[in-house]
Amino acid sequence: MGYQMADQKQIKLLVKEAELYRTQGLLEESKEKYLKVLQLIRENRQFQNNKKAISVIKGKIRGLEKDLAEIDRETEAPELSGNLQDLIKNLFSFSQDKDAAEIEGAEALAKFGQYERALTEFNRLLKKGVFPLIAAKNILRSHLALSSPDAAINQFREWLSGDLLSRQQLRNIRSFLEYVLRKKGVRATLPEVARESSQKSEDMESEGSFLDICSIRLRLVNGPCKGSVKELEVTFQSGHVISLIISAKDEDLLESFVPGIRLKGVHFFSSIAVFRADATISEYTRIKTGPRRGDYVLSITIERSDRLDIL
Amino acid sequence: MANFNLKDRVIECKIVYYGPGRGGKTTNLQYIFKAFKKQTMGEMVSINTKGDRTLFFDFLPLGLGKIRGCEVKIQLFTVPGQVKYSSTRKMVLKGVDGVVFVADSLQVRRKENLLSLRDLQQNLAEQNNSIFKIPLVLQYNKRDLARESIPLMPVELMERELNGKLKVPSFPASALKGTGVRATLQECLKLTLQHLHRELKWAR
Ligand SMILES: Nc1nc2c(ncn2[C@@H]2O[C@H](COP(=O)(O)OP(=O)(O)OP(=O)(O)O)[C@@H](O)[C@H]2O)c(=O)[nH]1
Ligand SMILES: [Mg+2]
Repeated sequence: MGYQMADQKQIKLLVKEAELYRTQGLLEESKEKYLKVLQLIRENRQFQNNKKAISVIKGKIRGLEKDLAEIDRETEAPELSGNLQDLIKNLFSFSQDKDAAEIEGAEALAKFGQYERALTEFNRLLKKGVFPLIAAKNILRSHLALSSPDAAINQFREWLSGDLLSRQQLRNIRSFLEYVLRKKGVRATLPEVARESSQKSEDMESEGSFLDICSIRLRLVNGPCKGSVKELEVTFQSGHVISLIISAKDEDLLESFVPGIRLKGVHFFSSIAVFRADATISEYTRIKTGPRRGDYVLSITIERSDRLDIL
Repeated sequence: MANFNLKDRVIECKIVYYGPGRGGKTTNLQYIFKAFKKQTMGEMVSINTKGDRTLFFDFLPLGLGKIRGCEVKIQLFTVPGQVKYSSTRKMVLKGVDGVVFVADSLQVRRKENLLSLRDLQQNLAEQNNSIFKIPLVLQYNKRDLARESIPLMPVELMERELNGKLKVPSFPASALKGTGVRATLQECLKLTLQHLHRELKWAR
């Protein structure tokens, strides 16, 4: 008798717990408690006939399972109002630099699934010439997120026939698009980027491959480290565009590397020669994944120059 | 990263409420919104799922007035606690200056507290920050349920499990009733402003 009383009390407590978890949205926990209740009722002879109680508890469990399945299905991000989108844009742009802040705001919109609005923003930035490579890649990414690879490919075609992007940039974007399409399992043949028609810029590439550059040395002409000499390692090279990594620790170096700035008399070290030429900062981007996450990739274009002095 | 406008002497910093799903982060902000009416500088914005789970974040702007000759503005955020919203949590955590970790005192949420704290540690590390360096306070929420004879973890156990290594200030609380909410926020603000003061040396 005393044993059964204790069971009854335990069941009451369990039901109370299960109900509380349910109201707090802790559905798994609630279900677990109800299952325990069910088990106790079944084990206890006195409750065996209590069909009604059993069916009530079973109903509760079914309800919870339905809610759990619904939560599992919630995957799509809702389209937010313009006001909320503006708020997101403002709250998630941190850079002091106005252009960088605009890019961050647009990237945040995409991250929160507001792809249509993100597209509008990135297109506006691209037209203004703000970080064109980043803007263009994000435009393609947003099209793909809206699951329209065709729109992405058409957009690329459109850029090919326009003059928003340089050939160098288009080539970069083409390999990017090829890569993301392949990752999505989309097979498509992308139109090639025509070679430069101007004789001048052709020269460097027509020599076959440009010298492989391992590192560069330069004197900083502005920024907090102005005047100091830096040596940086090259991580990637495509023709006369080279990429360098700047560690997040040396972030203040970036102030010396404003896109568009021309660096005079940079020393380029290759395995067979050292030469000197001018170069322009193309852009820098923050690395988002992998072991160097948080660091920056800086792209520098070596000027096709008659002053290419072999030292 | 706090935004410090030297010219206008305005400092704006970001406090994020972090913790396992359903632990009471949003309830904290709702209480603050009601109780700090004078300091709120706008509506509280919540972007939720169809239920009342946070989908993106809650946002509440506060103004603390002048401190050491500087106008201090605070942005309070909550992250979505559900495990599946991992990338949103990273996004909301960007540029954070101080963290309130809201732990759930319910015994059934013991493991989730630990997992969420580890998630916070990882996400801070990804931002080149550290859980051991950032201004942080812990809150042991839902203490009111002890009276309802719902199984809760003793504060000492939570202290050992969650705060054994961190050794940061911690507060038992009931966000629903409002007890401990103010103390938690005030301590986090104090630590955050002290930290920024050291970093930015804004007061002269
Ligand atoms: N009894 C009690 N219930 C609380 C307390 N704090 C929150 N709750 C309840 O717990 C549930 C979840 O609270 P929320 O504030 O939405 O939790 P959250 O941490 O924002 O959850 P997510 O947005 O999913 O991460 C709600 O039903 C609240 O009413 C508390 O101190 N005591
Ligand atoms: Mg919430």
